Amino acid sequence: MKRINLLFLLLVVIAGCRDRYELPLRDNDVSLLVVEGVLNVGGPTNITLSRTLKINDDISFKPELNAQLTVEDKSGNSFPLTTMGPGQYNHTQVPMVVGEEYRLRIRTANNKEYLSNYVTAVHTPDIDSISWRKENEGVRVYANSHDPSNNTRYYKWNYDETWEIRSYYPAEYKWLGDANIIYFGLYNYQCWKYEQSSNILVGTTAQLQADVLSEAPLTFINPGSEKLSVRYSILVRQQSLTKAAYEYFSLMKKNTESLGTIFDPQPSELRGNIHCVSDPQEDVIGYLTASSFTEKRLFITASETQWRYFQDCQSIEVANHPDSIKLWVPTYLPYSANTEGLGIKSYNMAYTRCVDCTARGGNLSRPSYW
Amino acid sequence: MRNKLLFVFFLFLAAAAKGQTPSLVSGHFVNLPAKKFFQQVEAQTPYFFYYDSTQVDSLTVNMLVQDQKVPELLQKVFRGTDLLFAIDDQNRVFISKKIPLQAQLPPNFFQPAKAQQRTDHTQSLAITSTMESRRQAVSENKIHEVGIKTNTIKQGNVVVSGYVRNERSGEPITSASLFVDSLNRNVVTNQEGYYTLTLPAGSHNLYVQSLGMQDAKFKVIVYSDGTLNLELKEHVALLKEVVVSAQKLANVNRVQLGVDRLNIEAIKKVPAVFGEADILRAVLALPGVKTVGEASTGLNVRGGSADQNLVLMNGATVYNPSHFFGMFAAFNPEIVKDVELYKSSIPAKYGGRLSSVLDIGLREGNKKEITGSAGIGIVTSRFNIEGPLAKERTSFILGGRTTYANWLMKLLPDEYKDAKASFYDVNLGISHRINPKNDLYFTGYLSNDRFNLASDTTYGYSNRNFNLRWRHQFSNKMMANFSVGSDRYEYAVKSTRNKVNAYALGFDINQFNLRGDFSYVASPSHTLEFGASSIRYKLHPGSYLPNSNESLVTPNIVSPEQAMESAIYLSDRYTISSQFSISGGIRYSLFQYLGGREVSYYAPGVPKDESTVIETKAYGSGKVINTYQGPEYRLSARFAFSPSFSIKAGYNSQRQYIHMLSNTTAIAPTDVWKLSDPNIKPQQGDQVSFGLYKNFKSNTIETSAEVYYKKIRNYLDYKPGATLVLNHHIETDVINTRGKAYGAELMIKKTSGKLNGWVSYTYSRILLQVDDPTVSLPVNNGKWYPANYDKPHDVTAIGNFKVNHRFSLSLNMTYSTGRPITLPIGRFYYAGSQRVLYADRNSYRIPDYFRTDFSMNIDGNHKVKQRTHNSWTIGVYNLTGRRNPFSVYYVSEAGQVSGYKLSIFGNAIPFVNFNIRF
Repeated sequence: MKRINLLFLLLVVIAGCRDRYELPLRDNDVSLLVVEGVLNVGGPTNITLSRTLKINDDISFKPELNAQLTVEDKSGNSFPLTTMGPGQYNHTQVPMVVGEEYRLRIRTANNKEYLSNYVTAVHTPDIDSISWRKENEGVRVYANSHDPSNNTRYYKWNYDETWEIRSYYPAEYKWLGDANIIYFGLYNYQCWKYEQSSNILVGTTAQLQADVLSEAPLTFINPGSEKLSVRYSILVRQQSLTKAAYEYFSLMKKNTESLGTIFDPQPSELRGNIHCVSDPQEDVIGYLTASSFTEKRLFITASETQWRYFQDCQSIEVANHPDSIKLWVPTYLPYSANTEGLGIKSYNMAYTRCVDCTARGGNLSRPSYW
Repeated sequence: MRNKLLFVFFLFLAAAAKGQTPSLVSGHFVNLPAKKFFQQVEAQTPYFFYYDSTQVDSLTVNMLVQDQKVPELLQKVFRGTDLLFAIDDQNRVFISKKIPLQAQLPPNFFQPAKAQQRTDHTQSLAITSTMESRRQAVSENKIHEVGIKTNTIKQGNVVVSGYVRNERSGEPITSASLFVDSLNRNVVTNQEGYYTLTLPAGSHNLYVQSLGMQDAKFKVIVYSDGTLNLELKEHVALLKEVVVSAQKLANVNRVQLGVDRLNIEAIKKVPAVFGEADILRAVLALPGVKTVGEASTGLNVRGGSADQNLVLMNGATVYNPSHFFGMFAAFNPEIVKDVELYKSSIPAKYGGRLSSVLDIGLREGNKKEITGSAGIGIVTSRFNIEGPLAKERTSFILGGRTTYANWLMKLLPDEYKDAKASFYDVNLGISHRINPKNDLYFTGYLSNDRFNLASDTTYGYSNRNFNLRWRHQFSNKMMANFSVGSDRYEYAVKSTRNKVNAYALGFDINQFNLRGDFSYVASPSHTLEFGASSIRYKLHPGSYLPNSNESLVTPNIVSPEQAMESAIYLSDRYTISSQFSISGGIRYSLFQYLGGREVSYYAPGVPKDESTVIETKAYGSGKVINTYQGPEYRLSARFAFSPSFSIKAGYNSQRQYIHMLSNTTAIAPTDVWKLSDPNIKPQQGDQVSFGLYKNFKSNTIETSAEVYYKKIRNYLDYKPGATLVLNHHIETDVINTRGKAYGAELMIKKTSGKLNGWVSYTYSRILLQVDDPTVSLPVNNGKWYPANYDKPHDVTAIGNFKVNHRFSLSLNMTYSTGRPITLPIGRFYYAGSQRVLYADRNSYRIPDYFRTDFSMNIDGNHKVKQRTHNSWTIGVYNLTGRRNPFSVYYVSEAGQVSGYKLSIFGNAIPFVNFNIRF
């Protein structure tokens, strides 16, 4: 049904339009607890606690500090989490067994107690492959998996993307301030950039006879994106969900990512599986799940996709004279020199982003898997 | 007709012709129509009869005859009537009515007082003096006599009935208003152009008015019960006359409240997007009718949801009345005759929906000659042809529309360059006159929409309707309609790209209808309507099937639903005096939910879900699973202070057994329908309304004010995140809701003159409240909240200015309060992104809506005799280009929350349309 909605968005393109709309400010003092994280079977458990914000608040994240978190099993054992950073709580490895039930107890600094329902730790099947396909000049990346025991049925993913970028002009000369340029050797030519998934990615095979997940879309690399200018990698983490968790995350996705079509569902309230013990009416955002994780990494190189990447870079020649140089730096930076006899007659310069990959937000250290 | 001319001559021979060739006739004639009688005489004797059958059709022969001579027999038979006969030397018998020798006939003599009264009442008719004289020229030279002529006029009331037809095409004229001046009483013709009028015997002036026809005045002398068929001339634009609306007096005079009628001429003048005359958009301009937004043809009538409207097309139920996802109405404007919307006083013969009945009447084919029309617009073309199959008896009308909207798709980004969209619809109507007392009507309708997005998912929906109706007239006073029909709506979504997931999703609804409707004029003051109807439903609520050999899709079929909805009704319109009349009706409906199907029963008082099922029972095919029944009341009363001022009050109750499941804002073609079952109660509604009606300036300006209050029970809302398609236990996702709606509708309408149109203002509210003790956390904490389509203020103005006979301008303007939406109260960070938090359903409103449309209608010349007539419509939709928001929403994009305002038709959209009539 998603497709139909897409069509409508398109009709709007023809006849209608989409404009920015400023949120009307509303007075309220809603500050609900937000719990995000998974009880990881066989790995570190990271739980993030935060508070909801007003729409017009300046900050984007308000961590919930000084809370005490414990994971409890049904036989009375409890495993406290330690504070790792603002709102970050961690346990290196809670000893959990697939099929057993666990819950999370939270005591906040204001001495309110929250408790999740018991959740069953589930096993996550391996990712069979991460595949990709060229689609309308872009690239769509898919996950493929299956569960021979037909038990998983509901899947959730998140991913980390890494891609390499290179400067348009390899730079050997470096500007050190004022009109001071030296030969430096090749520098800031190769960088890596990182991004994490920011969408809720869930999928199901509930409607299929066999638990075979085929081409669940994860992300789309837009045509011409720098992500595929050289080489691209995606690490996908997969997690099994229960049906209720799947429904919760689908609804959150529907409410917050998929609106804006003619046949929008009405946004509805979210009801998770974490409750305030002293005030059951208080809403808590988040759905606690317990499962193992499986992961898989995929590399794609630009040549495989016949990627077309365009950088708008033009070179200028600047006479080797302090007045001339000062006129152009730091908007332009030198990358090579033109010699005349033994001396340097002029420098070739280009926009900073064309000669220095860090100016494009790149990171110089090569990742271990590259 | 030619006989008549001959007759004038032979009249003078009548006396001389007597006594020739004495052949004898014997027989026992009981209630024998004159025509049959003549045939029998012809069989026994060498005589041959020449007559105009319309002149003798009121005569029946009751006589025991033994060896009578024909002339003497005829004298006996014609005694007491105004029929004369003449026989020539070749045994030809010429029969005629008495030719009046002067315009004014003696019957006035018998009632001198009435004559006085007539002149007074003439003023209450909106007739200018120029029209008056023209009308007289047309018809005043003829006196129509009804019944068996007697020398003295009997005392008491008689019943006159007959058809009003278009003189040129023979088409019946619906809702023509017949007005008898001496009585201040008016009746309106029904869908077949039939009327029944009760009036005192004697002489009357009968005025007939209908939209698009010339006003006519007929002088009638009524002796006894009889038939009077009337023909009206088409209003030709060359004449310097104003068009007089048939509703002129109906507005003040009829007993019902909240009834609006639009004929196709008026609808065609309302500018519409892409220039295609759109029935639903014209209906939306009426007071009390709203929609959630531009692309939705879902109507919300007086606070009702979109599924609470019964859309009937010549008696067939149309479940999805739109094309192209709601951009166009699915009704071909070339086939439609008129549209009637009942918002309050829903006649007892209709039922099954809470809010309204939208009755779309289709035209009958031209009975006299083959004609047709064709039109070309920006996105659609249409063609229709009509004509007689057997002259004066059988006619057909066939119309079709198709689209070439694919070019629109070409404007899309490359990603969708392969997208395709198309639709078509076809109407076929056949009417056949078996004899004056029996008619057959067939209506067939097929509409189809298909979309294909970049050869990935194909999507289609379709309406299919058939209807056969037999109209039988028992007598002048009693008439009946019997009809059978079948209605179907289906949709399918198919995807084949991913072989593993390839699927076909389908839904359909089928109903088979049977009904009989009787109307009986019991006395001048009582008109009864009664009848019975039955609908057999069969729904396939959803099937999800593999669509390729490799597909792993598990077939998922929600078991079919079946039910029988039956009703009987009786209503009486009681005219207590010319001032005071009431109409009361009762409808008793019975709904049976039928097997075979499994039904789950849940523990009472706790939320319904899989864990609270206490019993699952399987019912065999055709077994009654459960029954709902109850009476529905339809009452209204009118009191007229003067012929142009009346007040009315009404009470109405309704029951609805079939529900559309939809949790989207606009109705989507993928919404499914659900029958009431043991877990889902029928919706019920009650409405009280009150209205004032006053006409000014000889009825050329109508004003009305209506207020109403309405209660709705068992309205359906859904739990957060409910999936409605392929849900085997929908009752676990439903929240019982109640609603209250109230409002006022003011309207000023100018029906005639160079400038005509209307201005209406509506104030209306619709509030909902969760009415379900099992819901632990009800919407908005159990407080009242506005429904999606709650738009309190609405002002609409529709105007048409006729510059000259060939050129007119139309302008419409509409303003309404923005509809409610749920806005976020906060945001939070989750799964790598800022996300919004919603609460307080519908507590905020999108910006107000305002739109102006403009169109010009240019007609070719009006020479009556030319082969084709053509016309152009050129205009602009949303003239000011205002970006009216359809919705305001927030999405998480690249980790941030962004607010957007979505507009549909956010620019001025020009259009042009060419029509040709032949």
